[in-house]
Amino acid sequence: AAARPSVAALEGSRRCELCGAAPARVRCGGCRLTYYCDVDHQKADWISIHQQICQLLIPIRTPLPFLLSEKERKHGAEQLLKRQKYLIDLAYGTAREFVLEGKHKEALPAALHALRFSTEVYGSDSLQLVPAYLLLAEASTGVGHFLEASRYLSQAEWIVLTAPDCSAAVEYQLHRGLGLFCAAKGNLEQALYHLANDIYVASSAFGLKSLEASGGYFHMANVFFRQNKTDIANSLYAEVGRNKGHPLYFCQRVLKSRPEMSLLSGEEEADGFVLAAEAQRAEATRVLSTVLDVRERAPKQQPGETAGVLHALAMLYYLARDLPKAREAGRRALHLAKQLPQRESLETVGHLLTLINSCTE
Amino acid sequence: AFVFLPLTVIVLKIHLIKDKDGIDDYLAKNIKGLSKQEAAANRNSYKKNICIDMLRQGYHKSFSELFTLIQKWNALREAAGPGSAIWQRESLEEQPDKLDQLYHFLTGAEAAQRAGHYEEMYDNQLNLAYCFNDPEDKWLSNYFYEQCFNTAQLVKIDGGKREAQAHANMGLICEEQGHVMKAAEHFEAFYQLTEGLTWKDETGHTYNSLACEHLWRIYTLLADKMLENKEHQQAIKTLIKALKMAKEGGDMKMEGEAAYCLSLAYNFAGEQQTALSVSLGKVAETTEYLGEFMKAAENAHLSQSLVDACVLLGNIYNERGKYNEAFEYFSRASEAAKTLNNLPLVEETKTYYGIAKAHKLMVAFNSRIEAEDPVSLKYLLAWKENRSDMCTDPLTVDNIYQ
Repeated sequence: AAARPSVAALEGSRRCELCGAAPARVRCGGCRLTYYCDVDHQKADWISIHQQICQLLIPIRTPLPFLLSEKERKHGAEQLLKRQKYLIDLAYGTAREFVLEGKHKEALPAALHALRFSTEVYGSDSLQLVPAYLLLAEASTGVGHFLEASRYLSQAEWIVLTAPDCSAAVEYQLHRGLGLFCAAKGNLEQALYHLANDIYVASSAFGLKSLEASGGYFHMANVFFRQNKTDIANSLYAEVGRNKGHPLYFCQRVLKSRPEMSLLSGEEEADGFVLAAEAQRAEATRVLSTVLDVRERAPKQQPGETAGVLHALAMLYYLARDLPKAREAGRRALHLAKQLPQRESLETVGHLLTLINSCTE
Repeated sequence: AFVFLPLTVIVLKIHLIKDKDGIDDYLAKNIKGLSKQEAAANRNSYKKNICIDMLRQGYHKSFSELFTLIQKWNALREAAGPGSAIWQRESLEEQPDKLDQLYHFLTGAEAAQRAGHYEEMYDNQLNLAYCFNDPEDKWLSNYFYEQCFNTAQLVKIDGGKREAQAHANMGLICEEQGHVMKAAEHFEAFYQLTEGLTWKDETGHTYNSLACEHLWRIYTLLADKMLENKEHQQAIKTLIKALKMAKEGGDMKMEGEAAYCLSLAYNFAGEQQTALSVSLGKVAETTEYLGEFMKAAENAHLSQSLVDACVLLGNIYNERGKYNEAFEYFSRASEAAKTLNNLPLVEETKTYYGIAKAHKLMVAFNSRIEAEDPVSLKYLLAWKENRSDMCTDPLTVDNIYQ
């Protein structure tokens, strides 16, 4: 669909970019095409996504000049489509980043834009909209807007049900989204049902040992842990940890290789693997934080396992040079390790803390 | 507890419910129909429903195993190609009763495993091995017997009974597949684990006697292969082991057969080398075993075997020059052959008897000629004149060749 000339602009009744309310009296000075209810909405949009797309919106929202030849019109349309798709990816990617960092509020405007642009390009019943809906649901859940999240999920579900040829990737992601939403609401049995579907579809399409399936196992483990079924949960975590593509595997390697020993002795490159890509460390940190959260909220505690998680987190924060967090995690790990019968973990955590503290001097 | 309300009332009431979950809840409670999950389940294949059921209860290992087995079945079918027997059959995923069995016992095994009750895990897996007793499902059954074997190593509370059982089953599978050495290893382990213990199977036989039977059979098979490769000494050693097992097993027929095989092997070995190179020790062993075989054959009324044994023994004594013993055995062979009413066989044994007699005659004759004295000459002439039977010869000749 080509960009429509801004009829509303002509009529003088503009809608807020963020919430859609009219009349929107505040205008962005950069692109001069974007309107908001008030400064707060403008600020929220700016932080989330508008800063990145302000200038990019201009060629999209300005009406096309009247072009003479068929060839020129075609070229113009192609250019427009390219720009719109770029915007979709950018908005989606930005929202995804925010969600991964736990910044659900900031993610929402970007995610909304991703949805809107997708709708413009692909139509309102296209499968291409499902990722955006799922992301919106995740962000809304994170902020606590369960009703909105539920609506987004229903839309996604409807599209998948009515699409004649839905891919396995979309199907398993839908189930994962539904499962995580149920879990957030505390509806654990329902969450397990959806995650079971997630794992089944992912396994059928990508294989039992695939990274996609292992993601499902991970979330399922979290749910079982909350239900106090720790033996099932641990069995599932172990399964996830065996998958070399999953962050949990990375975490286990980090713990086993004990880089703090070689770092203490002065070697820079402790283990090439450990000083791996930043993105990998960031993902590992995120996953471990989730695990830690689940373990801490569980009715029954397993101090040994929790200490291990904190130890790995401390190491990851240290490697990322986030010393305050590293110290905090290390201190908590030490505290738990003191309660355990085996003393070796106490020693290694102690070494790590020494290393961390020596850095601040 | 479901109340069926008229549709109009429901429609009105729904407007009062604000959130979607509340609506779902209300519908589920008040309208007899399918829940969303049930509706989805109707659309799914049986396989998918079973898998989802397994996963949502946390039986992820059962899910993995089932999934992999179905994949294997499909791969086997692909490899066999159209037109093969397996192609005609339905896929494992389309056989609900088999899927149900797999669901029940796989989840049972996983639950037992998590609780550390390995004996229960074994029992569940054994049930699955029994389930798939169609000849076309042999690979599936064998797979579960192998799982049983792995699990049995972990069972401590039954004194090794399951471990023993598992060795026996694995031995049988190896035997079927022609891996005779491996089968022997398993049966030997089965034997060792059951020595001196009173475990019995459904037919009342003790495990140890079963072990003896399996070992007798497998040693005989091994020896067969060795004979094919002309490894005579090895074959004989193995057959001796087989005979030992047969004796322990306590089955007369088994024992008889084992002795017979052994003696045949000796004989066969003897034919390959020249008769003279067979050492005295070996002959003694052969005759000892043949003697035992004869006894066994007599007790079991195996007349043909008795005839064969007697003939063999007679031949051995014949070759060694012990003609009286040879006579004895040949006449016994003849008796046994008569009971079989086998006229050609009777004739045959009589021929052997004749040969032995001729040999004995030769001895006496030669000694007379070599003596070169007038007395001997007189006897020889007397014999030549009336061709009397050597047995009635009044001369008592010391047969120096005896």
